[in-house]
Amino acid sequence: MTDERSAERLTRKDLWSIFFRQIFIRSALNFERHQAMGFANAMIPVIRKYYKTPKERAEVLKRHMELFLTQPMVSAIPIGIAAAMEERYATKKDIDPESINAVKTALMGPLAALGDSLINGTARPILAGFAAALAMQGSIIGPIIFLIGMTIITLGIRYYGVFKGYEQGVRMVADLQKSGLIAKLTELAGVAALVVIGGFIPQVVNVKTVVAYKAGDTVIKLQETLDGLMPGVLPLGITLIMYYLMTRKKVSAVTLMFLLMVLGVIGVYLNILG
Amino acid sequence: MFLKALLVALWVTWGLIDEQTFQFQTTRPIITGPVVGLILGDVKTGLLVGATVELMFLAVVFVGTAVPPDPTLSSAIATAFAILTGKGADIAVATALPVALIGQVVTTLQYTVVNVFFLHRGDKYAAEGNLRGLTLMNTLPLLMNFIFYGLPAFLAVYYGPTFVKPYIDMIPAKIIQGLAAGGGMIGAVGFALLLKSIKALYLWPYFAIGFIASAYLKINILGIGLLAITAAALHSHFMGSQKYVESPRM
Repeated sequence: MTDERSAERLTRKDLWSIFFRQIFIRSALNFERHQAMGFANAMIPVIRKYYKTPKERAEVLKRHMELFLTQPMVSAIPIGIAAAMEERYATKKDIDPESINAVKTALMGPLAALGDSLINGTARPILAGFAAALAMQGSIIGPIIFLIGMTIITLGIRYYGVFKGYEQGVRMVADLQKSGLIAKLTELAGVAALVVIGGFIPQVVNVKTVVAYKAGDTVIKLQETLDGLMPGVLPLGITLIMYYLMTRKKVSAVTLMFLLMVLGVIGVYLNILG
Repeated sequence: MFLKALLVALWVTWGLIDEQTFQFQTTRPIITGPVVGLILGDVKTGLLVGATVELMFLAVVFVGTAVPPDPTLSSAIATAFAILTGKGADIAVATALPVALIGQVVTTLQYTVVNVFFLHRGDKYAAEGNLRGLTLMNTLPLLMNFIFYGLPAFLAVYYGPTFVKPYIDMIPAKIIQGLAAGGGMIGAVGFALLLKSIKALYLWPYFAIGFIASAYLKINILGIGLLAITAAALHSHFMGSQKYVESPRM
Protein backbone atom coordinates (compact mmCIF):
# COMPACT_ATOMS: atom_id res chain seq x y z
CA MET A 1 0.00 0.00 0.00
CA THR A 2 2.70 2.47 1.03
CA ASP A 3 4.75 1.49 -2.01
CA GLU A 4 1.84 2.10 -4.30
CA ARG A 5 1.18 5.48 -2.76
CA SER A 6 4.75 6.69 -2.97
CA ALA A 7 4.87 5.56 -6.58
CA GLU A 8 1.90 7.79 -7.22
CA ARG A 9 3.63 10.94 -6.07
CA LEU A 10 5.93 13.10 -8.15
CA THR A 11 9.58 12.18 -7.58
CA ARG A 12 12.48 14.57 -7.12
CA LYS A 13 13.45 13.69 -10.67
CA ASP A 14 10.02 14.87 -11.87
CA LEU A 15 10.44 18.09 -9.92
CA TRP A 16 13.86 18.73 -11.42
CA SER A 17 12.27 18.25 -14.81
CA ILE A 18 9.61 20.85 -13.90
CA PHE A 19 12.37 23.17 -12.64
CA PHE A 20 14.16 22.93 -15.97
CA ARG A 21 10.97 23.60 -17.92
CA GLN A 22 10.07 26.50 -15.60
CA ILE A 23 13.11 28.33 -16.99
CA PHE A 24 11.25 28.47 -20.33
CA ILE A 25 8.15 30.09 -18.81
CA ARG A 26 8.45 33.18 -21.00
CA SER A 27 10.35 31.87 -24.03
CA ALA A 28 7.18 32.25 -26.13
CA LEU A 29 5.87 35.37 -24.37
CA ASN A 30 3.10 36.99 -26.41
CA PHE A 31 0.46 39.67 -25.99
CA GLU A 32 -2.47 37.30 -26.40
CA ARG A 33 -2.07 35.00 -23.38
CA HIS A 34 1.45 35.96 -22.22
CA GLN A 35 3.15 33.03 -20.48
CA ALA A 36 0.31 30.53 -21.01
CA MET A 37 2.28 28.15 -23.25
CA GLY A 38 5.28 28.33 -20.93
CA PHE A 39 3.07 27.32 -18.03
CA ALA A 40 1.49 24.42 -19.94
CA ASN A 41 4.98 23.34 -20.98
CA ALA A 42 6.11 23.29 -17.34
CA MET A 43 3.21 20.96 -16.45
CA ILE A 44 4.31 18.32 -18.98
CA PRO A 45 6.26 16.11 -16.50
CA VAL A 46 3.07 15.87 -14.42
CA ILE A 47 0.91 15.15 -17.46
CA ARG A 48 3.32 12.54 -18.78
CA LYS A 49 3.27 10.72 -15.44
CA TYR A 50 -0.47 10.55 -14.84
CA TYR A 51 -2.16 10.66 -18.22
CA LYS A 52 -1.50 8.26 -21.05
CA THR A 53 -4.13 9.00 -23.70
CA PRO A 54 -3.96 12.09 -25.95
CA LYS A 55 -7.50 12.99 -24.97
CA GLU A 56 -6.72 13.17 -21.25
CA ARG A 57 -3.48 15.02 -21.96
CA ALA A 58 -5.28 17.56 -24.15
CA GLU A 59 -7.68 18.29 -21.30
CA VAL A 60 -4.90 19.24 -18.87
CA LEU A 61 -2.93 21.17 -21.48
CA LYS A 62 -6.02 23.17 -22.37
CA ARG A 63 -6.49 24.09 -18.72
CA HIS A 64 -3.00 25.57 -18.57
CA MET A 65 -3.18 27.34 -21.91
CA GLU A 66 -5.27 30.02 -20.21
CA LEU A 67 -3.79 33.51 -19.78
CA PHE A 68 -0.96 33.64 -17.29
CA LEU A 69 1.45 36.47 -16.52
CA THR A 70 3.75 37.19 -13.61
CA GLN A 71 7.41 37.95 -13.00
CA PRO A 72 9.31 35.03 -14.65
CA MET A 73 11.49 34.01 -11.68
CA VAL A 74 8.73 33.96 -9.07
CA SER A 75 6.38 32.15 -11.47
CA ALA A 76 8.16 29.07 -10.10
CA ILE A 77 5.93 29.30 -7.00
CA PRO A 78 2.55 28.92 -8.78
CA ILE A 79 4.15 26.27 -11.01
CA GLY A 80 5.19 24.24 -7.95
CA ILE A 81 1.74 24.69 -6.39
CA ALA A 82 -0.07 23.79 -9.63
CA ALA A 83 2.08 20.63 -9.93
CA ALA A 84 0.97 19.59 -6.44
CA MET A 85 -2.67 20.30 -7.25
CA GLU A 86 -2.54 18.44 -10.56
CA GLU A 87 -0.94 15.49 -8.76
CA ARG A 88 -3.73 15.51 -6.19
CA TYR A 89 -6.45 15.75 -8.82
CA ALA A 90 -4.89 12.94 -10.88
CA THR A 91 -4.42 10.58 -7.94
CA LYS A 92 -7.37 11.34 -5.66
CA LYS A 93 -9.86 13.30 -7.77
CA ASP A 94 -10.96 15.14 -4.61
CA ILE A 95 -10.35 18.69 -5.78
CA ASP A 96 -12.05 20.72 -8.47
CA PRO A 97 -9.66 21.19 -11.44
CA GLU A 98 -11.13 24.68 -11.87
CA SER A 99 -9.56 25.63 -8.55
CA ILE A 100 -6.10 25.12 -10.03
CA ASN A 101 -6.56 28.05 -12.38
CA ALA A 102 -8.22 30.05 -9.62
CA VAL A 103 -5.11 29.67 -7.47
CA LYS A 104 -2.81 30.62 -10.36
CA THR A 105 -4.85 33.73 -11.11
CA ALA A 106 -4.98 34.76 -7.46
CA LEU A 107 -1.19 34.61 -7.12
CA MET A 108 -0.30 36.25 -10.43
CA GLY A 109 -0.77 39.91 -9.46
CA PRO A 110 0.76 40.02 -5.98
CA LEU A 111 3.73 37.88 -7.07
CA ALA A 112 4.36 40.12 -10.09
CA ALA A 113 4.44 43.19 -7.83
CA LEU A 114 6.79 41.42 -5.41
CA GLY A 115 9.06 40.01 -8.11
CA ASP A 116 9.33 43.31 -9.97
CA SER A 117 10.21 45.33 -6.90
CA LEU A 118 12.54 42.70 -5.45
CA ILE A 119 14.47 41.88 -8.63
CA ASN A 120 14.14 44.85 -11.01
CA GLY A 121 13.67 47.49 -8.32
CA THR A 122 16.20 46.42 -5.74
CA ALA A 123 18.60 43.52 -6.33
CA ARG A 124 19.51 44.25 -9.94
CA PRO A 125 19.99 48.04 -9.67
CA ILE A 126 22.15 47.62 -6.54
CA LEU A 127 24.38 44.98 -8.12
CA ALA A 128 24.47 46.69 -11.52
CA GLY A 129 25.20 50.12 -10.01
CA PHE A 130 28.04 48.63 -7.98
CA ALA A 131 29.38 46.84 -11.06
CA ALA A 132 29.16 49.98 -13.20
CA ALA A 133 30.99 52.04 -10.56
CA LEU A 134 33.85 49.52 -10.58
CA ALA A 135 33.81 49.22 -14.37
CA MET A 136 34.16 53.00 -14.73
CA GLN A 137 37.54 52.60 -13.04
CA GLY A 138 38.45 49.93 -15.59
CA SER A 139 37.89 46.93 -13.34
CA ILE A 140 36.36 43.74 -14.71
CA ILE A 141 35.61 42.46 -11.18
CA GLY A 142 32.35 44.43 -10.94
CA PRO A 143 30.63 42.77 -13.91
CA ILE A 144 31.79 39.34 -12.71
CA ILE A 145 30.31 39.89 -9.23
CA PHE A 146 27.10 41.14 -10.87
CA LEU A 147 26.84 38.00 -12.98
CA ILE A 148 27.52 35.63 -10.08
CA GLY A 149 25.05 37.46 -7.85
CA MET A 150 22.26 37.43 -10.42
CA THR A 151 22.88 33.76 -11.26
CA ILE A 152 22.47 32.78 -7.62
CA ILE A 153 19.31 34.88 -7.36
CA THR A 154 17.61 33.63 -10.52
CA LEU A 155 18.38 29.94 -10.02
CA GLY A 156 17.78 30.14 -6.27
CA ILE A 157 14.30 31.66 -6.59
CA ARG A 158 13.31 29.19 -9.31
CA TYR A 159 14.55 26.19 -7.30
CA TYR A 160 12.87 27.38 -4.11
CA GLY A 161 9.64 28.18 -5.95
CA VAL A 162 9.23 24.82 -7.66
CA PHE A 163 10.31 22.60 -4.75
CA LYS A 164 8.76 24.60 -1.92
CA GLY A 165 5.62 25.38 -3.91
CA TYR A 166 5.13 21.67 -4.62
CA GLU A 167 5.88 20.62 -1.05
CA GLN A 168 3.46 23.09 0.51
CA GLY A 169 0.89 23.03 -2.24
CA VAL A 170 -2.39 24.82 -1.66
CA ARG A 171 -1.45 25.38 1.98
CA MET A 172 1.14 27.87 0.75
CA VAL A 173 -1.54 30.00 -0.92
CA ALA A 174 -3.53 30.20 2.30
CA ASP A 175 -0.39 30.99 4.29
CA LEU A 176 0.77 33.65 1.87
CA GLN A 177 -2.60 35.37 1.84
CA LYS A 178 -3.48 35.05 5.51
CA SER A 179 -0.17 36.29 6.87
CA GLY A 180 0.03 39.06 4.28
CA LEU A 181 3.55 37.83 3.58
CA ILE A 182 3.56 38.94 -0.06
CA ALA A 183 2.31 42.40 0.86
CA LYS A 184 4.91 42.65 3.62
CA LEU A 185 7.79 41.61 1.37
CA THR A 186 6.58 44.01 -1.32
CA GLU A 187 6.61 46.86 1.19
CA LEU A 188 10.10 45.96 2.42
CA ALA A 189 11.34 45.79 -1.17
CA GLY A 190 9.78 49.23 -1.63
CA VAL A 191 11.73 50.56 1.38
CA ALA A 192 15.00 49.20 0.01
CA ALA A 193 14.21 50.49 -3.49
CA LEU A 194 13.50 54.01 -2.20
CA VAL A 195 16.83 54.17 -0.33
CA VAL A 196 18.56 52.94 -3.48
CA ILE A 197 16.79 55.44 -5.74
CA GLY A 198 17.46 58.36 -3.40
CA GLY A 199 21.06 57.30 -2.96
CA PHE A 200 21.80 56.53 -6.59
CA ILE A 201 20.35 59.72 -8.08
CA PRO A 202 23.23 62.05 -7.07
CA GLN A 203 25.83 59.54 -8.28
CA VAL A 204 24.21 58.05 -11.35
CA VAL A 205 22.26 60.89 -12.92
CA ASN A 206 24.97 62.94 -14.48
CA VAL A 207 24.25 66.64 -14.89
CA LYS A 208 26.47 69.62 -14.24
CA THR A 209 26.07 73.27 -15.07
CA VAL A 210 28.96 75.36 -16.37
CA VAL A 211 27.22 78.67 -15.72
CA ALA A 212 29.59 81.21 -14.18
CA TYR A 213 29.17 84.88 -13.43
CA LYS A 214 31.32 87.68 -12.24
CA ALA A 215 30.74 89.37 -8.90
CA GLY A 216 33.27 92.14 -8.66
CA ASP A 217 36.63 90.56 -9.37
CA THR A 218 35.80 86.97 -8.51
CA VAL A 219 34.21 84.48 -10.87
CA ILE A 220 31.45 82.56 -9.18
CA LYS A 221 30.67 79.14 -10.55
CA LEU A 222 27.01 78.21 -10.12
CA GLN A 223 27.79 74.50 -9.73
CA GLU A 224 30.09 75.22 -6.79
CA THR A 225 27.43 77.37 -5.14
CA LEU A 226 24.86 74.61 -5.61
CA ASP A 227 27.25 71.97 -4.24
CA GLY A 228 27.76 74.13 -1.17
CA LEU A 229 24.03 74.49 -0.51
CA MET A 230 22.66 71.13 -1.57
CA PRO A 231 24.86 68.69 -3.42
CA GLY A 232 23.04 66.65 -6.02
CA VAL A 233 20.21 69.15 -6.34
CA LEU A 234 20.27 69.15 -10.16
CA PRO A 235 20.00 65.34 -10.55
CA LEU A 236 17.30 65.32 -7.86
CA GLY A 237 15.39 68.15 -9.53
CA ILE A 238 15.47 66.51 -12.95
CA THR A 239 14.32 63.17 -11.54
CA LEU A 240 11.42 64.78 -9.68
CA ILE A 241 10.40 66.72 -12.80
CA MET A 242 10.45 63.43 -14.76
CA TYR A 243 8.35 61.81 -12.03
CA TYR A 244 5.88 64.69 -12.13
CA LEU A 245 5.57 64.64 -15.93
CA MET A 246 5.15 60.88 -15.87
CA THR A 247 2.53 60.61 -13.13
CA ARG A 248 0.57 63.85 -13.48
CA LYS A 249 0.99 64.70 -17.15
CA LYS A 250 1.09 61.06 -18.34
CA VAL A 251 4.09 61.73 -20.60
CA SER A 252 5.61 58.43 -21.76
CA ALA A 253 9.08 57.39 -20.61
CA VAL A 254 10.37 57.21 -24.17
CA THR A 255 9.23 60.78 -24.91
CA LEU A 256 10.97 61.96 -21.74
CA MET A 257 14.20 60.24 -22.80
CA PHE A 258 14.10 62.07 -26.13
CA LEU A 259 13.30 65.30 -24.36
CA LEU A 260 16.40 64.97 -22.17
CA MET A 261 18.63 64.26 -25.18
CA VAL A 262 17.32 67.41 -26.91
CA LEU A 263 17.71 69.34 -23.66
CA GLY A 264 21.32 68.15 -23.47
CA VAL A 265 22.13 69.51 -26.93
CA ILE A 266 20.39 72.83 -26.25
CA GLY A 267 22.09 73.09 -22.87
CA VAL A 268 25.55 72.59 -24.34
CA TYR A 269 24.90 75.10 -27.14
CA LEU A 270 23.72 77.73 -24.65
CA ASN A 271 26.71 77.01 -22.40
CA ILE A 272 24.50 75.97 -19.53
CA LEU A 273 25.39 72.28 -19.37
CA GLY A 274 28.81 70.74 -19.60
CA MET B 1 35.88 41.39 -39.49
CA PHE B 2 33.28 38.92 -40.76
CA LEU B 3 34.07 36.56 -37.91
CA LYS B 4 34.04 39.35 -35.31
CA ALA B 5 30.69 40.66 -36.55
CA LEU B 6 29.31 37.12 -36.45
CA LEU B 7 30.54 36.65 -32.88
CA VAL B 8 28.87 39.91 -31.80
CA ALA B 9 25.65 38.72 -33.51
CA LEU B 10 25.82 35.39 -31.68
CA TRP B 11 26.42 37.12 -28.36
CA VAL B 12 23.43 39.43 -28.89
CA THR B 13 21.29 36.40 -29.79
CA TRP B 14 22.43 34.65 -26.64
CA GLY B 15 21.70 37.81 -24.61
CA LEU B 16 18.10 37.77 -25.80
CA ILE B 17 17.77 34.02 -25.21
CA ASP B 18 19.12 34.52 -21.70
CA GLU B 19 16.56 37.28 -21.07
CA GLN B 20 13.79 34.95 -22.22
CA THR B 21 14.96 31.93 -20.21
CA PHE B 22 17.56 31.80 -17.40
CA GLN B 23 17.81 35.56 -16.80
CA PHE B 24 21.44 35.44 -15.70
CA GLN B 25 21.33 39.09 -16.88
CA THR B 26 24.08 38.67 -19.49
CA THR B 27 21.63 40.76 -21.48
CA ARG B 28 22.56 43.87 -19.46
CA PRO B 29 24.93 46.50 -20.92
CA ILE B 30 27.37 46.02 -18.03
CA ILE B 31 28.04 42.46 -19.32
CA THR B 32 27.41 42.92 -23.05
CA GLY B 33 29.73 45.98 -23.24
CA PRO B 34 32.91 44.22 -22.03
CA VAL B 35 32.10 41.03 -24.00
CA VAL B 36 31.69 42.94 -27.28
CA GLY B 37 34.84 44.86 -26.33
CA LEU B 38 36.66 41.56 -25.92
CA ILE B 39 35.47 40.35 -29.34
CA LEU B 40 36.59 43.59 -31.00
CA GLY B 41 39.87 43.70 -29.10
CA ASP B 42 39.25 46.63 -26.74
CA VAL B 43 37.92 45.49 -23.35
CA LYS B 44 38.68 48.84 -21.73
CA THR B 45 36.36 50.82 -24.01
CA GLY B 46 33.83 47.98 -23.76
CA LEU B 47 33.81 48.27 -19.98
CA LEU B 48 33.43 52.04 -20.10
CA VAL B 49 30.61 51.98 -22.66
CA GLY B 50 28.91 49.08 -20.87
CA ALA B 51 28.98 50.95 -17.56
CA THR B 52 27.79 54.22 -19.15
CA VAL B 53 24.85 52.61 -20.98
CA GLU B 54 24.03 50.48 -17.92
CA LEU B 55 23.63 53.64 -15.84
CA MET B 56 21.39 55.16 -18.54
CA PHE B 57 19.02 52.20 -18.29
CA LEU B 58 19.74 51.21 -14.66
CA ALA B 59 16.32 51.74 -13.20
CA VAL B 60 14.22 51.45 -16.34
CA VAL B 61 11.48 49.11 -15.18
CA PHE B 62 8.35 48.66 -17.24
CA VAL B 63 5.75 46.84 -15.17
CA GLY B 64 3.27 44.37 -16.58
CA THR B 65 3.20 43.95 -20.31
CA ALA B 66 4.96 47.15 -21.40
CA VAL B 67 8.08 46.56 -23.49
CA PRO B 68 11.17 48.47 -22.28
CA PRO B 69 13.80 49.93 -24.65
CA ASP B 70 16.15 47.09 -25.60
CA PRO B 71 19.41 47.09 -23.61
CA THR B 72 21.32 44.29 -25.40
CA LEU B 73 21.29 45.23 -29.07
CA SER B 74 21.81 48.88 -28.16
CA SER B 75 24.83 48.35 -25.91
CA ALA B 76 26.39 45.90 -28.39
CA ILE B 77 26.09 48.33 -31.30
CA ALA B 78 27.06 51.32 -29.15
CA THR B 79 30.21 49.50 -27.98
CA ALA B 80 31.07 48.45 -31.54
CA PHE B 81 30.66 52.00 -32.84
CA ALA B 82 32.72 53.44 -29.99
CA ILE B 83 35.57 51.05 -30.74
CA LEU B 84 35.40 50.89 -34.54
CA THR B 85 35.01 54.63 -35.15
CA GLY B 86 37.54 55.44 -32.45
CA LYS B 87 35.26 58.08 -30.97
CA GLY B 88 34.90 56.58 -27.50
CA ALA B 89 32.08 56.64 -25.01
CA ASP B 90 30.42 59.89 -26.15
CA ILE B 91 29.40 58.44 -29.52
CA ALA B 92 28.18 55.33 -27.71
CA VAL B 93 25.73 57.34 -25.63
CA ALA B 94 24.48 59.11 -28.74
CA THR B 95 23.92 55.75 -30.50
CA ALA B 96 22.49 53.76 -27.59
CA LEU B 97 19.08 55.40 -27.23
CA PRO B 98 17.98 55.32 -30.90
CA VAL B 99 19.07 51.68 -31.23
CA ALA B 100 17.33 50.80 -27.95
CA LEU B 101 14.10 52.25 -29.35
CA ILE B 102 14.43 50.30 -32.60
CA GLY B 103 14.95 47.21 -30.42
CA GLN B 104 11.78 48.09 -28.51
CA VAL B 105 9.77 48.12 -31.76
CA VAL B 106 11.28 44.79 -32.82
CA THR B 107 10.41 43.25 -29.44
CA THR B 108 6.84 44.50 -29.71
CA LEU B 109 6.56 42.93 -33.17
CA GLN B 110 7.91 39.67 -31.77
CA TYR B 111 5.33 39.56 -28.97
CA THR B 112 2.32 40.69 -30.99
CA VAL B 113 2.80 38.78 -34.25
CA VAL B 114 5.51 36.12 -34.24
CA ASN B 115 4.96 34.60 -30.82
CA VAL B 116 1.18 34.73 -31.23
CA PHE B 117 1.67 32.57 -34.34
CA PHE B 118 3.62 30.05 -32.24
CA LEU B 119 0.94 30.22 -29.53
CA HIS B 120 -1.78 29.26 -32.01
CA ARG B 121 0.30 26.35 -33.30
CA GLY B 122 0.74 25.41 -29.64
CA ASP B 123 -3.04 25.49 -29.15
CA LYS B 124 -3.37 23.00 -31.99
CA TYR B 125 -0.85 20.61 -30.43
CA ALA B 126 -2.46 21.05 -27.01
CA ALA B 127 -5.83 20.04 -28.47
CA GLU B 128 -4.20 16.91 -29.89
CA GLY B 129 -2.52 16.13 -26.58
CA ASN B 130 0.83 16.31 -28.36
CA LEU B 131 3.35 17.10 -25.61
CA ARG B 132 6.44 17.23 -27.83
CA GLY B 133 4.72 19.53 -30.28
CA LEU B 134 3.82 21.95 -27.53
CA THR B 135 7.36 21.99 -26.14
CA LEU B 136 8.68 22.63 -29.62
CA MET B 137 6.33 25.60 -30.13
CA ASN B 138 7.35 26.98 -26.75
CA THR B 139 11.06 26.70 -27.61
CA LEU B 140 11.25 27.70 -31.29
CA PRO B 141 10.63 31.43 -30.63
CA LEU B 142 14.09 31.51 -29.01
CA LEU B 143 15.72 30.79 -32.35
CA MET B 144 13.89 33.73 -33.93
CA ASN B 145 16.10 36.00 -31.83
CA PHE B 146 18.91 35.43 -34.30
CA ILE B 147 16.82 36.91 -37.09
CA PHE B 148 15.38 39.73 -35.00
CA TYR B 149 18.46 40.84 -33.08
CA GLY B 150 21.48 38.83 -34.24
CA LEU B 151 21.17 39.80 -37.89
CA PRO B 152 20.78 43.55 -37.28
CA ALA B 153 23.77 43.39 -34.90
CA PHE B 154 25.82 41.64 -37.59
CA LEU B 155 24.91 44.19 -40.26
CA ALA B 156 25.58 47.11 -37.93
CA VAL B 157 29.00 45.85 -36.91
CA TYR B 158 30.06 44.59 -40.36
CA TYR B 159 28.83 47.45 -42.53
CA GLY B 160 27.86 50.09 -39.97
CA PRO B 161 31.12 51.86 -39.14
CA THR B 162 32.17 52.34 -42.79
CA PHE B 163 28.74 53.68 -43.69
CA VAL B 164 28.17 55.65 -40.54
CA LYS B 165 31.64 57.06 -39.91
CA PRO B 166 31.53 59.76 -42.64
CA TYR B 167 28.25 60.99 -41.17
CA ILE B 168 29.56 60.84 -37.63
CA ASP B 169 32.56 62.89 -38.74
CA MET B 170 30.16 65.50 -40.12
CA ILE B 171 28.32 65.94 -36.81
CA PRO B 172 29.62 69.00 -34.95
CA ALA B 173 31.48 68.11 -31.75
CA LYS B 174 29.01 70.20 -29.76
CA ILE B 175 26.07 68.04 -30.83
CA ILE B 176 27.85 64.87 -29.77
CA GLN B 177 28.78 66.54 -26.50
CA GLY B 178 25.16 67.63 -26.06
CA LEU B 179 23.83 64.14 -26.77
CA ALA B 180 26.29 62.75 -24.26
CA ALA B 181 25.10 65.32 -21.70
CA GLY B 182 21.52 64.31 -22.45
CA GLY B 183 22.46 60.64 -22.11
CA GLY B 184 23.90 61.39 -18.70
CA MET B 185 20.50 62.69 -17.60
CA ILE B 186 18.49 59.79 -19.04
CA GLY B 187 19.08 57.79 -15.85
CA ALA B 188 16.55 60.17 -14.24
CA VAL B 189 13.74 58.72 -16.37
CA GLY B 190 14.55 55.23 -15.06
CA PHE B 191 14.49 56.40 -11.46
CA ALA B 192 11.20 58.20 -12.07
CA LEU B 193 9.76 54.96 -13.51
CA LEU B 194 10.92 53.05 -10.46
CA LEU B 195 9.50 55.69 -8.10
CA LYS B 196 6.19 55.46 -9.95
CA SER B 197 6.09 51.68 -9.42
CA ILE B 198 6.20 52.10 -5.63
CA LYS B 199 2.61 52.78 -4.64
CA ALA B 200 3.13 53.29 -0.90
CA LEU B 201 3.74 57.05 -0.80
CA TYR B 202 4.15 57.09 2.99
CA LEU B 203 7.49 55.33 2.48
CA TRP B 204 9.05 58.39 0.79
CA PRO B 205 11.11 59.43 3.85
CA TYR B 206 13.33 56.46 2.94
CA PHE B 207 13.97 58.20 -0.37
CA ALA B 208 15.23 61.22 1.58
CA ILE B 209 17.48 59.01 3.74
CA GLY B 210 19.09 57.56 0.63
CA PHE B 211 19.56 60.97 -0.94
CA ILE B 212 21.09 62.55 2.16
CA ALA B 213 23.43 59.61 2.70
CA SER B 214 24.64 59.88 -0.85
CA ALA B 215 24.68 63.63 -1.58
CA TYR B 216 25.81 64.94 1.80
CA LEU B 217 27.59 62.02 3.43
CA LYS B 218 29.17 60.84 0.13
CA ILE B 219 28.46 57.17 0.83
CA ASN B 220 29.31 55.18 -2.30
CA ILE B 221 27.03 52.90 -4.34
CA LEU B 222 27.81 49.73 -2.39
CA GLY B 223 27.30 51.57 0.88
CA ILE B 224 23.89 52.75 -0.34
CA GLY B 225 22.99 49.13 -1.13
CA LEU B 226 23.94 48.09 2.39
CA LEU B 227 21.99 51.01 3.84
CA ALA B 228 18.94 49.92 1.83
CA ILE B 229 19.06 46.41 3.28
CA THR B 230 19.51 47.83 6.78
CA ALA B 231 16.56 50.17 6.34
CA ALA B 232 14.35 47.29 5.16
CA ALA B 233 15.37 45.19 8.18
CA LEU B 234 14.61 48.05 10.60
CA HIS B 235 11.30 48.75 8.90
CA SER B 236 10.37 45.09 9.21
CA HIS B 237 11.23 45.11 12.91
CA PHE B 238 9.31 48.23 13.80
CA MET B 239 6.27 47.33 11.75
CA GLY B 240 6.12 44.13 13.76
CA SER B 241 3.10 41.96 13.13
CA GLN B 242 1.05 44.84 11.79
CA LYS B 243 -1.33 43.90 9.02
CA TYR B 244 -0.13 44.81 5.56
CA VAL B 245 -2.58 45.65 2.85
CA GLU B 246 -2.18 44.47 -0.69
CA SER B 247 -1.36 47.57 -2.65
CA PRO B 248 -3.38 47.90 -5.84
CA ARG B 249 -1.28 47.26 -8.90
CA MET B 250 -1.40 49.07 -12.23
